[in-house]
Amino acid sequence: MPQLQPGLVHTPVTPFTRERAIDLDRYAQLIEFHIANGADTLALPMHAGESVSLPDSERRLLLEFALERVKGRKPLIAHVSETGTGIAVALARHAEAAGAAAVVATTPYYWTPPPAMVLEHFAQIGAAVKIPFFLYNAPEEMQGTKVNAELCHKLIDKLPNFAGVVDLSLDWQFMIELMTDAPRLRPGFQLLAGTELMVSAGAIGAAGMFAPLAGIAPKLVRELYELCRDQKLFEARAAQEQMAALRQAVKAGGIASLKAAMRAMGRDCGEPRPPLLPLDASAYQKLVGELDAIAALRAEPPGW
Amino acid sequence: MQSPVTPLKDDFSLDLPTFERLLDFHVRTGATAISWPHHKGESLNLTIAERKLFAEAAVRVVNGRIPVTIHVSALAVEDTMELARHAQQIGADGILAITPYFWTPTVEAIHAYFVRLCTSIELPVLSYNSPSYLAGVEITGDLMARLIERLPNFVGVKEASFNSEKFLEISRAALAMRPDFAMLTGVEYLLPSVPLGGIGSYSAAGSICPNLCSQLFDACIAGDWPRARDLQYKISWLWLLFRDQYPSSLKGGMVMMGRPVGPTRAPLPTATKERQAYVHAELERLGILDTEPHGW
Repeated sequence: MPQLQPGLVHTPVTPFTRERAIDLDRYAQLIEFHIANGADTLALPMHAGESVSLPDSERRLLLEFALERVKGRKPLIAHVSETGTGIAVALARHAEAAGAAAVVATTPYYWTPPPAMVLEHFAQIGAAVKIPFFLYNAPEEMQGTKVNAELCHKLIDKLPNFAGVVDLSLDWQFMIELMTDAPRLRPGFQLLAGTELMVSAGAIGAAGMFAPLAGIAPKLVRELYELCRDQKLFEARAAQEQMAALRQAVKAGGIASLKAAMRAMGRDCGEPRPPLLPLDASAYQKLVGELDAIAALRAEPPGW
Repeated sequence: MQSPVTPLKDDFSLDLPTFERLLDFHVRTGATAISWPHHKGESLNLTIAERKLFAEAAVRVVNGRIPVTIHVSALAVEDTMELARHAQQIGADGILAITPYFWTPTVEAIHAYFVRLCTSIELPVLSYNSPSYLAGVEITGDLMARLIERLPNFVGVKEASFNSEKFLEISRAALAMRPDFAMLTGVEYLLPSVPLGGIGSYSAAGSICPNLCSQLFDACIAGDWPRARDLQYKISWLWLLFRDQYPSSLKGGMVMMGRPVGPTRAPLPTATKERQAYVHAELERLGILDTEPHGW
């Protein structure tokens, strides 16, 4: 079974033109930026990359484009979450055929499914490919639909390629329960922090981190990741607190704030697609003020 | 820190001699402080008169050997105020209070509640944050900062969200303003909290395995993360064992450790013989029976 140790995973935004088309020239530039600024692996298009605003054909095109540009310099994880199991399965098969190193998927959108339905959804997606399958547990993004440790144990039993959980629940009870048994049931099983809150997850045993804020603050993201990876957890607290301040500044405005912050750092990737609205001028100024107050951002690279 | 259960006789009345024995057990087996009655002590199933009676017993038996704080949260805020005044009168070292029950109060209402409580007494006050049990009612980082600014005796929080972001939002706000603000976790989630500035926890399993509690605390403070992970996994498994209809199974487990404390008051069930046997098997599998004290 192929293995993948994703390490620090950057999750690029998807740049759009004024006409709301994917801006492939800008995307190529963005991919180079991430590779040059600390990414061990890329995962795309995650929710930070507006996956749910991309039609099926665009998701495939985006992945193929990224693979062609990356040219094997870094592994690439394809995000294949969908509402319908069959659609997600088809995306996963496409990702494997195109050359992705792994796939990642969260619970089905909209249906708020009970555990048995969630299990079957993941089992079918994972079984559709031979490359590693990562489960993305993000109850706050998914109307409260949760994954528990028992479901993960069942998936280990069903799927030889179930490689780990990307956790955005931030729930210590879940993470500890998961890591008490999963690495014994599946040697090499990985817990990956689903956002840049890695100190607690790293203490519990997380081996990697997904970093949606890497386009804004790649140096801070790398510093936090390396301190946690090296188990320098007390030393990581200062970087973690700076990272949390950045996360809070961007969080309320979602993707619009993420893209606005990238523009403020000199890396304009346009505005989000509808139904998301761009920040208005006063919200943008407020965000810029909050970013200015975060000392660590002064060390970040300006522009491309 | 240990929060004793409430021993009951077979007729569900308070069992004072066993409570005294239990307090002494906790002090002798490494507790750094005593706090009573948490939800684990069936606080909301006790009358206010009963809570006062045992609060007095706790202060008397511990007798200054370690600090004693009294949990004053009650359904009616007027009862909370009364219990806080009582705690001060009997010589307790501090009180602990959760956000108000039932009403899903707004941020401003929670602020007003803690201001009224903290200004009514001179004792140090620990707050208690438990959003998952209180329909999302919580103390945010911003609210914590306002309370610290306003109240000199607002000294810490029992943080029971068990969530990286919620803990961190409170800790980075509070510790920046008051570096000795006590960031405590609700049960023994020391491994994920100590690196972020956590300095201790209350305990679910301390009446079963006090040695394990002390070892975990020492490993976390020393930054011995591989050892802390092993111990944390073990103690968190016990929490999962006891969490459902807490503290019924915990009291059942205490029977197995030779420290029976009687039944659990309704509506909580009392652990059946079968449940006790299951808890016993798990304690055996984890090696608790061989490494922890049996009997009083």
